[in-house]
Amino acid sequence: MSKNPNEPMSIVLVGVNHKTAPVEMRELLAFSEEACTEGLRLLVDGEVVREGLIVSTCNRVEVVAATTTEKMQEGTERISDFLSVSRNLPRDFFYDHVYNRTEEDAVRHLFRVTSSLDSMVVGEPQVLGQVRRAYSLALEAGTAGRVLNRLVHHAFHVAKRVRTETGIAANAVSISYMAVELGKKIFNTLKGHSVLLIGGGEMAELSARHLINAGAEGVLIANRTVETAERLAAEFNGTAISLNDLPDYLAEADIVICSTGAEDYVVTEALARKALEERRNRPAFFIDISVPRNVDPAIGELPNMFVFDIDDLEAVVTSNIREREKEAERAELIVESEIMQFQQALRALDFGPTIGALRQKLQDIARLELARQKNRLGQLTPEQERAVEALLLSTVNKISHPVLSQMRRSYEASDIETIQAWRDIFGLEE
Amino acid sequence: MRSLLLAVLAAYIVAAIHAILAFVNKRKALHRISLWSLAAGFALHTAALLADWIIDGHYPLFYRRETLSFLAWTLAATYGLVLFRYGTQALGAFILPPISVLVFIAAIIQSDSNTAVSASGFSTTWLFPVHTTLVIFAYAAFFVVFLASSMYLFQERALKLKTFGAAFHRLPSLTTVNEIATSAAAIGLTMLTVGIATGMMWSASRDGHIWRNDPKEIFAALTWLLYLLLIIYRSTAGWRGRRAAWLGVAGFALVLCTFFGARLMGGYHVFG
Repeated sequence: MSKNPNEPMSIVLVGVNHKTAPVEMRELLAFSEEACTEGLRLLVDGEVVREGLIVSTCNRVEVVAATTTEKMQEGTERISDFLSVSRNLPRDFFYDHVYNRTEEDAVRHLFRVTSSLDSMVVGEPQVLGQVRRAYSLALEAGTAGRVLNRLVHHAFHVAKRVRTETGIAANAVSISYMAVELGKKIFNTLKGHSVLLIGGGEMAELSARHLINAGAEGVLIANRTVETAERLAAEFNGTAISLNDLPDYLAEADIVICSTGAEDYVVTEALARKALEERRNRPAFFIDISVPRNVDPAIGELPNMFVFDIDDLEAVVTSNIREREKEAERAELIVESEIMQFQQALRALDFGPTIGALRQKLQDIARLELARQKNRLGQLTPEQERAVEALLLSTVNKISHPVLSQMRRSYEASDIETIQAWRDIFGLEE
Repeated sequence: MRSLLLAVLAAYIVAAIHAILAFVNKRKALHRISLWSLAAGFALHTAALLADWIIDGHYPLFYRRETLSFLAWTLAATYGLVLFRYGTQALGAFILPPISVLVFIAAIIQSDSNTAVSASGFSTTWLFPVHTTLVIFAYAAFFVVFLASSMYLFQERALKLKTFGAAFHRLPSLTTVNEIATSAAAIGLTMLTVGIATGMMWSASRDGHIWRNDPKEIFAALTWLLYLLLIIYRSTAGWRGRRAAWLGVAGFALVLCTFFGARLMGGYHVFG
């Protein structure tokens, strides 16, 4: 879509996120998938904005664009105008909440977003998928070209490095996910392990859902209200049991999630002792989300029984968040080193103009040589003179053509290594 | 064969360092380096043992230097098996350093020529090498029981106290270490049983005695009893978890006594 591919390109980014704008504003600025495709076509004019990408999630709206380096400022202006027009909002409305980033800063921002360093919960995995989706929308709309392709792929590469080389996503940072992590620590795999849900409530149900998604099989549901028990049994494909039958079923469960409004212990030590005996000492894991507690903490003293109440879980979550923040510092270093690499790659993409210049240079050499040797040729007719010049130029062109077209191919394929090799061969560093 | 053993040592040290770094930094690439150098070291080590066997003319498990080297080789093989079966990379950080130390000691021991006992009289029958090999493998298995049990205890404590450090997240799950300890104990016990039996048979064929009240024999018998108990308790499931793990740790103290202690107290088993 670029009018003239031979100009140096830059990245610009305009956006709002959960740190700069309240949710009311983010809602108004957000793009649905259809609006995204439509918006991208509006945004990319081929003149100022050559390529475009919109990442819109509940925590952020980021518009990334490729412009010519010359028209970078115009580019950011155009994006702000675009936001105002396409979202039907006055610019003043969001002006103070929007950040503009260009070149290195824009690259850094996108890398950090994709690597989940800019997320509300650092290290959460969803944002990578969201950027992926945004990219495929841009591809469909035809607004992702050579520059953004490289940028986005580089961002994915950074995200992967951050994920594998740091512990940024290692430990659970939500209470409901903690159940899965601790379950795996105890049982190695959740496959074939059963869950008993006593009571209900949002967090308990979410924990149960996470456990099932992670492979837990066989869900028992004990609830005071029959309707709730049956609803949850249907939802989790489990079996509803009566709270009164708890003593009979407790031994069957490897993982017990307890969340009732009871004032006293629902799972007493005596009950747990009996279950432990019936389980022949196989380990059991109790998650007590209720306040006041429903699982007697004394059960935690029994061998092979592990009890976590809400405070325990919260303490672990807090320490895991701190751990992630430490890991995030290492991730920032990775991002910094990758920015440099990307900028180099982007500059290598500015190779197009060089190819044109090289052809010119070779032809100039031919003409210069002709001028130098002209006297020795004696008197030539204008036709002869033209013929000699044509002879020289066509020889130069014929010889250089396969080389130049090969160079152009490496340029179009964005094959950075080969481009670097061409640069070295012809001494094209400046 | 000293230079070959030094090459083995170098490979094992590289493997150990990378296993520790992989454990600390949780990097897959480091673990891969550790595995490759371990494989290289193990191949060289096997070659070194074979060369010893051919050159010296006796099964390379008699003198102190040979025994330490052979034990290291056995541990490396055992680690490989556990890794293959359970994929527990974390074990490497704990088993590779002692392997390196054993090879290091084996490499600096000058020569065993000053030992009063000569190997020549022992290799005439196949029973003796079988006896020593099985016992050494049993020791290696018991070391794995010890490591897995320690990991169990460490993590169980962390779970009970609800304080999780970095090491906690890198160790294999309770169920996994429990399984490793159980099967390693069963395999170790089987080997020890057959090892002791062949030892008795060999001794009987040599001079008619099957038991001499030698310290090493007494310790070996105690060790055998303890692991038998461990297996029985584990299989009846009464002693799953912490208590079994404590037994696995305590059992290894007995193994150490059997291996080193007997030497200090003298007796019939003066070698190995």
